[in-house]
Amino acid sequence: MKRMNKLKKEYDDIEIPPELDNLVKDSIQRAKNTKKKHSPMRNWSIGVAAAAALFVGSINASPTFANSLVNIPVIGSIVQVFTIETLIMEKETYQANMKTPAIDGLENEGLQTALNEKYIEENKALFTKFEEEIARLEEAGSGHLGMDSGYEVKTDTEQILSIARYETTTAGSSSTEMQYDTIDKQHNILLTLPSLFKDDSYIGIITTYIKQEMKRQMEEDENTAYLAVEGADVEFSSIQANQDFYITADHTLVISFDQYEVAPGYMGVVTFEIPSDILQDALVGDTYIQ
Amino acid sequence: MFKIEEGEPFVMTKNIKMEQVEQFLIENQNAHYRLAYSYVKNKENALDIVQDSIFKALKSIHRLEEIKYLKTWFYRILVNTSIDFIRKHQRMMVMDDEVLDGYLPQTEDEPTDIDLLDALDTLSPDEKSLIILRFFEDLKIDEVAAILDENSNTVKTRLYRTLKKLRIEIEKGDLE
Repeated sequence: MKRMNKLKKEYDDIEIPPELDNLVKDSIQRAKNTKKKHSPMRNWSIGVAAAAALFVGSINASPTFANSLVNIPVIGSIVQVFTIETLIMEKETYQANMKTPAIDGLENEGLQTALNEKYIEENKALFTKFEEEIARLEEAGSGHLGMDSGYEVKTDTEQILSIARYETTTAGSSSTEMQYDTIDKQHNILLTLPSLFKDDSYIGIITTYIKQEMKRQMEEDENTAYLAVEGADVEFSSIQANQDFYITADHTLVISFDQYEVAPGYMGVVTFEIPSDILQDALVGDTYIQ
Repeated sequence: MFKIEEGEPFVMTKNIKMEQVEQFLIENQNAHYRLAYSYVKNKENALDIVQDSIFKALKSIHRLEEIKYLKTWFYRILVNTSIDFIRKHQRMMVMDDEVLDGYLPQTEDEPTDIDLLDALDTLSPDEKSLIILRFFEDLKIDEVAAILDENSNTVKTRLYRTLKKLRIEIEKGDLE
């Protein structure tokens, strides 16, 4: 068996390329993501063009361009959301695409300015974080990193404007975080979850409902998994008092969880519509939720 | 290393199953790469095959009924993907003469004075699978048979013939 041992040694000596590890992790993540349609993640290609240039630019969108990017507001509504700035980086292994939304037309200019400044600041901070992370990776050799951020107008009615902002980080595996702002356009106020309710009884009501709903969905579809299963590593125990939420055009409350918060990564960001009738007793009024 | 508990009933939720498969893929990535590389002899193609196999595996994860078959199940995907790749790209692959010889019909009395380093490349893809799985990856005959979708006796006979071709003396027990 001497020849065999030599052959085996030759086999064992096949050099493992350093990119294998990332490729395997990326492939797993991408295979999982292609199962889910809703992931805002782009395809991070391993073998992209060798010499891509780095450029960071900001595009001040024209109104026409902005309109093509957002839901065109309801006729008569004067509040608009558009992309004010896009930060882009295109490098072989580092890619970023960060869109900053801006709101225009709110009567309460203080609120509008505060929100717009917050959006710009957050995206700048995110881009700085991205650049720092790249510097760290470069120091250690090389790496892959992608960051995508942007927004989506969830609801735009006479009364309510809900904007969702997402932030997806891709490094081997990807994770997505969602944040929402819901504005009462008539009264010019930013709504918080606790402000919709009389007291904090809503936390229990919503938690109970979501737990039941998780179980129901898991029984119905074997591809669905939540950490509501008893004995799961991190069991979902309760929503936060200021859990992410938005309100739909037909006055329904939607509770949102970041990727990995209550479900395995392949489920992505998950949302639950809460039936208005179970909230009735806890609500301050029926202005927003009916 | 990834361990499979014997006799453990496969009652697990889908996400735990997914986690186990993921863990297996990550922990054994080097072995998977070497296997793919032995067929295509080129880094880019080997990486493509590993990536393709992971996609195929995770897409058909529901077909993996018991976690103890994880290894043979994934190896089958990997071997088939590699051999498919060779078939599709055969005409475009750059080969040296000794490698090419492996694909041509062999004459019985041909002098077999080949450099040991290239010995494996004189084998056909199917013969290669046998040697790699049984001797390099150290799988049992039954497991090799399951991966190649053959019965154990056929595998034994073909292994014996392949070893002879490689001029490797076999001791009793090597084929068991």
